[in-house]
Amino acid sequence: MNSEDPTQNTPQDDGPQAPAGGPEAPTGGPQAPAEGPRRMTRSRQDRVIGGVCGGLGRYFNTDPIFFRIGAIALAFIGGAGLLLYLAALLLMPSQESGAAAVASSGEGRNRVLVIAGVVVILLFAWPFLLGGGLLAAGLLVPVAILVGAGVLAWWLVSGEGPSGEPKDIARRAALGVGVLILCAVVAFGGAVAAAAGPDWLVAAVVIAAGAAILAGAFLKPVRWLVLPAVALALAAGTVSASGIDLDGGVGEREYRPASTTDLRERYELGMGELVVDLRESDLPSGDVPLELDLGIGEARLLVPDDVCVAATADIGMGHVSFFDRDHGGIDLDFAERPDVEGDSTRVLLDAEIGMGELRVSHDDYRDTSEADFGSRGDGFESSQAGNSACATTGQSASG
Amino acid sequence: MRAAKPDIPALVAGLALLALGGLLLAHSLGVVELSFALVAPVACAATGAILLANGLGRGG
Repeated sequence: MNSEDPTQNTPQDDGPQAPAGGPEAPTGGPQAPAEGPRRMTRSRQDRVIGGVCGGLGRYFNTDPIFFRIGAIALAFIGGAGLLLYLAALLLMPSQESGAAAVASSGEGRNRVLVIAGVVVILLFAWPFLLGGGLLAAGLLVPVAILVGAGVLAWWLVSGEGPSGEPKDIARRAALGVGVLILCAVVAFGGAVAAAAGPDWLVAAVVIAAGAAILAGAFLKPVRWLVLPAVALALAAGTVSASGIDLDGGVGEREYRPASTTDLRERYELGMGELVVDLRESDLPSGDVPLELDLGIGEARLLVPDDVCVAATADIGMGHVSFFDRDHGGIDLDFAERPDVEGDSTRVLLDAEIGMGELRVSHDDYRDTSEADFGSRGDGFESSQAGNSACATTGQSASG
Repeated sequence: MRAAKPDIPALVAGLALLALGGLLLAHSLGVVELSFALVAPVACAATGAILLANGLGRGG
């Protein structure tokens, strides 16, 4: 396949560097084949930037679009396409100057200098080109996904498919992205409402939207309502499945009860960081019940070295770090119910976390991190200490 | 008089949303305990049904 203008293969266009006996050389015509080797020159007629791909297409008797696609693809893979194009731009003479270049006696020396220059540029610029290529690819892929999602969204809303002129596709993609933004706003609002308000409210809205769409199927379709309603339902479903409850407020809470009288049975936070530090607490012998209820965020329980912890945790989506053991996933049910000997203290922890992390340890990892960079140097070892005050361990985790 | 032919994509979307809303309502009433193991397949099935109905009903 060759989409080039056939007139460019005439001797007038190719000039003195027209291939002799090559695929495009006229055979048996009035034009005598030019003497000397077939020369690769930049095309004057078929050019987008510098005529490099057009010249390559003519030289190899191939459609230049293949070289253009290859150059663009290589440009996004480490920037090699840009560098190769630059090298070709420097090394390949243009059609009009080809003959003069051949006649020039200093051409060989200049060509060597150009090649040396390109090699030096390559050696120094390659890391930057690679980073630039990855950066461009990192930007291009999300944009392509966004455009595709926009076209799909607009197709769902309006019924206009992804066909037609590029201008129409761009318009549909833009409108679709607008619809997606609206859906994101609806989803966020629905998630907050499901987490902070009564559960049945969002469910009732979803049912009402479904009923309206169902009725519209027989009367007058209301396609525009489908996507926002689905976004609302999925957001509320995610919140419900996680068990996220924003009751208790938002922010950072840290409790350091000094004695049993200060110790509450339940600590609650909607979203943020919840810390219960019992390391300085005067805890009684026997079992000490403690509940942690967190919607989204991180909950930390810090206990003295001589206190055993028995824990059950229900985490919608997240991670448990229980002394020297870690578990993560969705629908995570963690349980460890060790026994204690004698009249030792055992904290009975019951944690409910919607989305986030539960950490139970003898040392605060924030202090440990500071110690790692400071002069103490023993932070890592102490943070790995297990639930050593217990006599036996009985651990299970699923999810 | 013949009844009007329903719009299939809207019909499927309405039914899928009623199912999702019903599930959420059942959770709020304590009938069903929602988890990701339940929500994820139901949400995928509902979304897939809506997309499928749109594709078949409109043909792009």
